[in-house]
Amino acid sequence: MTEVRPKSIQSRLSWLLVGVALAWGLSISATIWLVGRSQVDRMLDYTLLEAAEILYGLLNFDLAQLPLQGAAAMASPYVHEERLVWQVIGPDGRVRLQSHRAPSTPLTPTLRLGFFDVNAKIGDPGAAASGAGNGADYRVFGMPLSDARQTLYVAHFGVDRQHANLVAIQAAAAAVLLSGLLGAFWLRSRVRKELTPLNELSASVAVYDPLNNAATLIAPSRAELFPLRQAVYDFGTRLARRVANERAFTAHAAHALRTPLAGMDAQLAAALRECAPEQRGRLERTREAASRLHNVVSALLTLFRSGVDLDLQPVDVGELVHQLPIEGVEVRVTRGATVVADLNLLAAALLNLLDNSVRHGARAVQVQAHGDPGQERIVLHDDGPGIPAGKARLLQDALDAQDYAQHMGLGLMLADLIARAHHGRLRILPAQVGLKIEFSLRARPGTSPVA
Amino acid sequence: MRLLLLEDDPILGEGLRDFLQHEGHVVDWVVRLLDLERVRDTPFDVLLVDWQLPDGSGLNWVKSLRDVGDATPAIMMTARDLLEDRIRGLDTGVDDYLVKPFRPEELAARIRAVRRRAVGSASSRLVFGKMEVDLATKVVSVAGVPAELTVREWSLIEALALRAGQFVSKHDLERLFRRGDDSDAASNALEVHVHNLRRKLGREAIETVRGRGYRLAT
Repeated sequence: MTEVRPKSIQSRLSWLLVGVALAWGLSISATIWLVGRSQVDRMLDYTLLEAAEILYGLLNFDLAQLPLQGAAAMASPYVHEERLVWQVIGPDGRVRLQSHRAPSTPLTPTLRLGFFDVNAKIGDPGAAASGAGNGADYRVFGMPLSDARQTLYVAHFGVDRQHANLVAIQAAAAAVLLSGLLGAFWLRSRVRKELTPLNELSASVAVYDPLNNAATLIAPSRAELFPLRQAVYDFGTRLARRVANERAFTAHAAHALRTPLAGMDAQLAAALRECAPEQRGRLERTREAASRLHNVVSALLTLFRSGVDLDLQPVDVGELVHQLPIEGVEVRVTRGATVVADLNLLAAALLNLLDNSVRHGARAVQVQAHGDPGQERIVLHDDGPGIPAGKARLLQDALDAQDYAQHMGLGLMLADLIARAHHGRLRILPAQVGLKIEFSLRARPGTSPVA
Repeated sequence: MRLLLLEDDPILGEGLRDFLQHEGHVVDWVVRLLDLERVRDTPFDVLLVDWQLPDGSGLNWVKSLRDVGDATPAIMMTARDLLEDRIRGLDTGVDDYLVKPFRPEELAARIRAVRRRAVGSASSRLVFGKMEVDLATKVVSVAGVPAELTVREWSLIEALALRAGQFVSKHDLERLFRRGDDSDAASNALEVHVHNLRRKLGREAIETVRGRGYRLAT
C-alpha cells in the first residue's frame, strides 16, 4: 500500500503566510479605501472651497465690468485639460459667464449653495449632498456673488475625484500587499531556516543505529528538539534491549537445536562407514532427512533473528529444486532461470511449499521461475485437490495481513515470511486444477531484509 | 593424524570420534576442560574445540595455548554463527571456524587443510624424493606407483609427512598414531609397521637415527 505523503510543515506555513499576507493586505486596503476616500474627498472639497473663494474675490473686484449679458466662456490662454470648472448664473437662472470647459447649462436648475453633487446626465443634483462625488458627474460648491443676484458655481469633475481616490487607494493597497508578500516570503525563508535543525536531526536519526553503543544523535540547536532526541534515544534503548534478548534467546536456541543436529549427522556419517550394505540406503535417507531438518532449522533461526543480513546471491532455481530432498511427488522444473535470493532461505521456502503439496495429495508439481530483474518470481503449480475459491480468498487475505494463526500451517507461514524478507509476497493464483502459488522476490544486494 | 576432540555433547562427540577414526585419525575425545590434564603431553596434530563447555570456554582455552606459544592448529566447532562471534574466534587464535550443524566430511577436509597450512604446503600432496603423499586421497605412491597401506601404516606415514624434515621420537610417534584403547599396543608394534612400510615404499623411505627417532627421507 502506497503511503500518502502529507504536506510539509514548511509548505503549510508558507501557504498560510502567503494567505495571511493577502488577507491582511486586502483588509488594510479596504480600510484605506473607506478612510482614505473620505479624507481625500474632504481635501478636495477644501480645494474646491478655496478655488471658489479666489474666484469670488476676483469676480467681485470689478463685477460691473464682467460680460454678464450672455453665456460666454472665458478664453483659455493655452489648451489644457481643465480639472476645475465654474459658472456664474444670472438671476434668470441662465449661465452668464463660465470657464471654457464648464457646461453651457447651469450645473443645477435650481439655486443651491454650499457643497452638492450633480449628475449632469439626468440634470438633477445628487441626493447625497455630502457625498464625495461617488457616481456623480460634478462636485459643486455654490455661493452668491457680492451683488446677490449672480451665483457662482465652482465644480470638480466627479471622474477626476474618483480617479484621485482610486490612485491613492491603489498606491496604498499596493504598498500594503507588497510589504505583506515580502513579509510572507521573508517568513517563509525564516521558517525554512528554523526547520533546518529538524531536518538535521531527521538525517541523524536516519543513520542512527541503536544497536551500536557508540552511536549518537547530533545535539539539536533548538530547545524544542531535545524531547524528540530523548524519545529516539529511549526508543533505541528499548529496541536494543529487545534485540539483545532476542539474540541471547536465539543463541541458546541455536545451540540447543544445532548441536543435536550435528550429532545426528555425525552419528549417521559414522554409521554409514560401519553398516552392512543393505542398511546403507536406509541410513542415507535418514541422513537426508536430518539434512532437511538442518536446513529448515537454519532458515528459521536466520529468519527470526534481528539484524542479520540476507546472503543474497544468484540462485539457479532448477538446480536448487533438483537438490532439495523431496519424496513422494514428481517435480518438473524449468531450468535456467536465476533469481537473486538467500540460498538457504529460498531452499527452506520451496521445501515447505513442496512439502505442502505432498501432504495435500499432489503427485506432480510444476515449478516455473521467472528471473526478470525486479519481477523475479517462482510459480509452483501442483495437481492436488487445490482449494475452493472462497477459501483461497480467505487464505490470501490472511497472507496479506500476516494473520498466520487462523488459516495456515507453518509451511505457508514460513514461505510467506521468507518472501517478505526478500521484499516479495506469497500469492495464491487462480487455477483450474490443483494449487498455484506465486513466490515473488524483489530483494537486491544491499537491501535490508524486511522484518 | 592425532586429534583432540573437545566436545561435551555425547551424541556429537561419539559420532565425530567414530567418523574421524574411520577416516584414519587417532581421536582423543574429552568432554570437559578438566579432563585435558590426562592428554596434556600428547602431541596433537589438530585441536577440535567446542566453544561452550560445561566448565568453561573452549575459546579461552585456545587463547591460553596461544599465549604460551602453542601453535597447534585449532578448529572451533560451535553453534554460534554470528559474524562477530566468527571474527572473535578467529582473532583469538583458532585457525578455522565451523558452525554447527556441519557435515563430518567437511570437518575432515578442514582438518586436512589446517594441518596442510601448518606445514606450509599449499597442496594436499607432499613430495619426499620419489615418494608422494596425498593427504586428501590418502594415497602414497612411489615413482608414480600407488602403494597399498593399512590404516595404521597410513597414520604412521601421515604423522611423519606432517613433520617433514623433523625426527619424531618413537615415544611421540606411538602416541600420534595409537589409540587409547588400542589392542595392537605391543611394544614392538611401531617397529613392525615401520618394517612393513619400508618393504612397501623402499628401505630408504624412512630414516632412523638412534636416540632421535624416525623421519621421511627427502
